[in-house]
Order: sequence, then C-alpha cells, then structure tokens
Amino acid sequence: MPVETDVVDAGPATPQQMPAERPLLVASHVSRHFEGVRAVEDVSIDVLPGRITGLIGPNGAGKSTFLAVLAGTLPASSGTITFDGHDVTALPAFRRARRGMVRTFQLPSEFAQLTVLENLLAAAPHNRGDSLVGALLGRRYWRADEDRLVEQARVLLERFRMSAKESDYASSLSGGQKRLVEIMRALMLRPRLLLLDEPMSGVHPSIVGEIADYCEALRDEGLTILIVEHELHMIERMCDPVIVMAQGSVIGQGTMAALRQQREIVDAYLVG
Amino acid sequence: MTYYLTTVLVYAAVDILACLAISLQFGVSGIVNFSFIIFQAAGAYTAAVLSLPSDSANGGFQTYILGLNLSFPIPWIGATVVGALLAPPIGLVVLRRLRSDYQAIAMLVLSVIASLVVTNTPAFLDGAAGLSLVPQPLSDKFNPYSDGYLWAYTIGALVLAVIVFFIAQRVINSPYGRSLRAMRENEVAANALGKNAVALKMTVFIVGGAIAGLSGAILVGFITTWAPSTWLYPETLILFAAVIVGGRGNNYGAVLGALLVPVGFEEATRYLPPFGPPGLIPALEWVCIGGLILGFLWFRPRGVLPERRRVFPARPKALAAGEQHAGRD
Repeated sequence: MPVETDVVDAGPATPQQMPAERPLLVASHVSRHFEGVRAVEDVSIDVLPGRITGLIGPNGAGKSTFLAVLAGTLPASSGTITFDGHDVTALPAFRRARRGMVRTFQLPSEFAQLTVLENLLAAAPHNRGDSLVGALLGRRYWRADEDRLVEQARVLLERFRMSAKESDYASSLSGGQKRLVEIMRALMLRPRLLLLDEPMSGVHPSIVGEIADYCEALRDEGLTILIVEHELHMIERMCDPVIVMAQGSVIGQGTMAALRQQREIVDAYLVG
Repeated sequence: MTYYLTTVLVYAAVDILACLAISLQFGVSGIVNFSFIIFQAAGAYTAAVLSLPSDSANGGFQTYILGLNLSFPIPWIGATVVGALLAPPIGLVVLRRLRSDYQAIAMLVLSVIASLVVTNTPAFLDGAAGLSLVPQPLSDKFNPYSDGYLWAYTIGALVLAVIVFFIAQRVINSPYGRSLRAMRENEVAANALGKNAVALKMTVFIVGGAIAGLSGAILVGFITTWAPSTWLYPETLILFAAVIVGGRGNNYGAVLGALLVPVGFEEATRYLPPFGPPGLIPALEWVCIGGLILGFLWFRPRGVLPERRRVFPARPKALAAGEQHAGRD
C-alpha cells in the first residue's frame, strides 16, 4: 500500500529551470497497478529538454515500473503521458520508440546471438531491407541503406571505444560492455529522449565513470535523458533535476544538494 | 526402383520445404509452431478438393466439400494461398498475447483439435477415411504411372524446394531477417527499439504457412491420398527434430536436417530385420527421435550446421570510394 506522502519541492534546481521551458515529456497522474499492488501511484513529472533528469529511490519504489510505463513496455493503469506535445499514452512501445522515446533495461537485454555490430544495426530505422517485401527484393534494393547504417554504427562503436568488439557475439561481452551496447543501440534510433534504467548497475567502476561521461556528452549535444540509478554520486554529478520516488509515489524533486536538506527524503532513501 | 527413388526424393523435397519453413519460424524468429503440420494438411486438403471432381463422382464413396476439378497449377497455388491465409487467424489468437512457451502449448492443442474436427466431420473432408484418388497434376495429359512422369514430378518438386531455399536465404540474410533474429533473442527489447514484434511474427508465420501449404500440395499430388492419420501432431515433432539436428536459423542446416531425420532416419529403419512384436520398430523410431532431440539439445544445441556469424567487410564499398554518407536526422 502506498503511504501518504507530500511532495517536497526542493525549489528550482538551477537558474535555467524557468517555467517557460517546455517539457519534452509530461507524465500526469500516472499509475500502474498489478492486481491490487500499486507499483506506481499518481506520479506526475516533467522532463525538461536538454537535461539529464535523475530518478532515484529505494528498491521497490516503482522507478523501473514507471520507466516501463513511460516507454510503453507496460501500459499505464491511469494517467496520461505526453511526449513533445502529443499524447502517447495509448501508443505501444514500438511506436513511442519510433517517435524518439527509447529505453534501456535494468537487466542486460542484448541480442545475445547477434554480433555487437548487428545489435546496433538491428535497432536502426529507415532500412529498405527491413520488411518482408524489401528482403525478397534482394540485396541490391537495400544495400545503400545498409552501408549507410553500418557506417553510422561504426561511428558509434568508435566513439564508445568498442570497435574491436564489432564482430563478437554480444553474449560474450562483460556486463559493462553490454550496457554500452544497449546505449549505442538506443542511439542508433537517433532518439530525442533516452530512458536509461540503471545503466551503471553491476558495472566495473571504470565503466561507471565512462557511462556518466557519455551521458553528459550526449546531453551537451542536446539529447534529453531520464535516468534511473542507484549510483548517487553519479546522479549528483550529472542530473538536474533529480526526482525521488518511494513506495510508488514521488516524494521530492530538485538538485541533489537541495534534496539532501529534506529530512523526509534523507530518511526515505539518501541514508537508507 | 524408379518408383522407390522418386518417392524418396519427393519426400525429401517436401521435408526440405517443411524444414525451411520451420527454420524460418522457429530457428530465425523463435516461434515454436507446434501446429505446423496443420498448415501442411490444409495445403494438401486444398490441393485435393480443388483437383478432385465433385464427390458424387467415383460412385460417391467419399464425401468432401468443393470438388472443383481444377487443372494444375491452380490447386497448388490454392494450397499455398490457403496455407498463408490460415496463418493470420491462428497468429492473431496465439502470437499476439501469449508468451512463447504458452504459444507452443496453444499451437499443440490447436493441432490436436484440428485433427479431431476433421476426423469427426465426415461431410467436410471425408473424416477419418480421408481423401483418395486425388488426381495427379497434368495426369489428364500424361501417364502418371510412367517413369518419365515420376521423374518430371520429382524434378519439379526439387526445383520448387531450391526456389524456396533461395527465398529463405534472402529473408535470413536481409535486415528483415536480422530483425527477426533480434526479436527471437529479446522480444521486449526489440519492441522498445521500434520493432513491431507482432507484425514481424505474423509475416514470418504467413510465409511459413504458405511454404507448408505448398509442401502439402506436392505430397498429396504424389501419393494421391490424404487422411488425418498422415498429419497427426507428432509429425511436427519429427520436423522440429530435423531442424534442431541440422541447425536452427541456418537454411543449409534445415536441408541437412530434412535429409538426415525424416528422410534418412525413416528410410534406414526400413532395412532393419523384423524383430519383436509388430509395431515395435515404429515405436523405437519415436524413441530414437526423442533421444535425438534431447541429445542435440544437450550436447550440440546449435545443431550440426549452426547459424553463422555475420561479419561485415571492413569498410562499405561506397565509403571506400570516398563517397559521403549523409545520416537521416
């Protein structure tokens, strides 16, 4: 059962966070129930463009469920989700992805028996050979698209320093490398909003920093990111604002520094 | 001898077609279609009732619908179309909402139900007795018992198997085939990356159904009879065993599996000296096929010819020529 909690507004996170800034994603009174279990209860958040928004909270807070509802992997029990001004609540996950909302998963979800390069190519849109008819028309029909996408994928592999692994099966990668493949795979869709579900969990500390670097670089290029993560020092470094969830509800939001001043939040999670 | 050889080769062509279809559905796409045999049966029945005359002919000893007496190749085309058309209704029920293990169970049950329905509605397709005296293709122009006809039929069947092999090659080596393999590996992730998994599954289900329907038409055109006893659900398991042994997701593996299991294995047991009570050897065949599936899944799960790893050339040719590639932003 959810507890009655008051949302603690820790104040504007930065001077840039002005009311005029139009959110890229708006979740309004979103709930997700599983046969009586209220995993997410009446959550409303705004995700502002060009920022990394952090979503933190203790285990079982409903963060990953909420992310899955945002991405369409799970349907919302109630509430609305608006992406770039369009109501996407009724859209299935694949349509939301095509509109530019792409997610990664809490557990490694690589395409194990595909190579790393194929993992990236499998995610790429706009390939004429990616339909039954296109496939039957033969290689000549889709070769130009394929070559272009191979090149796009190789640029990403180079950027993420994974070129040497291009032809390895994704199943043979380390946990951290699989995370990088998932992020690169999502980037192949050229998303506008990246939903990252604990990309640093179970990852070697050196790759944790690397993932944070990539996230910041992507943000600087204009990508909007919503990240669920337990690595609080990385959240503090990257995110503005940070949203705190507990027992299915939002209990506060603001900068990490401001959140640390809120006793309810500190009790619920930050020292918890 | 001609009859024996051509029979073995026609069965080989039919089994190759069936294994290619199962490899596309199961090996490439991860759809465990345990109702595969009903697609082949639908094709065979369709070809039969399209080529048979009205059921009042031949003394009315069998009852069935249609009986349109159409000439070749319409019955075979009809069989292919019906195999394809059977896929959407089954797919919409089974593939849309159920998880893959439940899909397998639902399809197995469907196979059993279909067999029982046909067996117990004699007015539909002559029930348990089945259809016989199905006219062979072009038998009104050529003597179907001549060696020339048998060889022509065999070559025709093998040519169709080769054509379907190349179609299957195009599918699995294309970006569409890659999407199918991605869906097989992780359907939820594929969906989250913009792949419509239901549509992907449905298309490959339809293609597999069409190939199965064609294989049924080829078979019934050769053996001229078709009854529920020829398409019981264990027949599907033999074909799955073939694909598992040959190599899932590899069309060469599907061909090899078809030649090794349904053709080679069953032909080999034919030459065993009779021993034990009647029915023992066929029963042992089933035991061996079960053992073959378990053995391969345990020791060589990817089969004799595993799915090949796709390695891309170092640089695309266009780039090597110095061409600029624009992204699609």
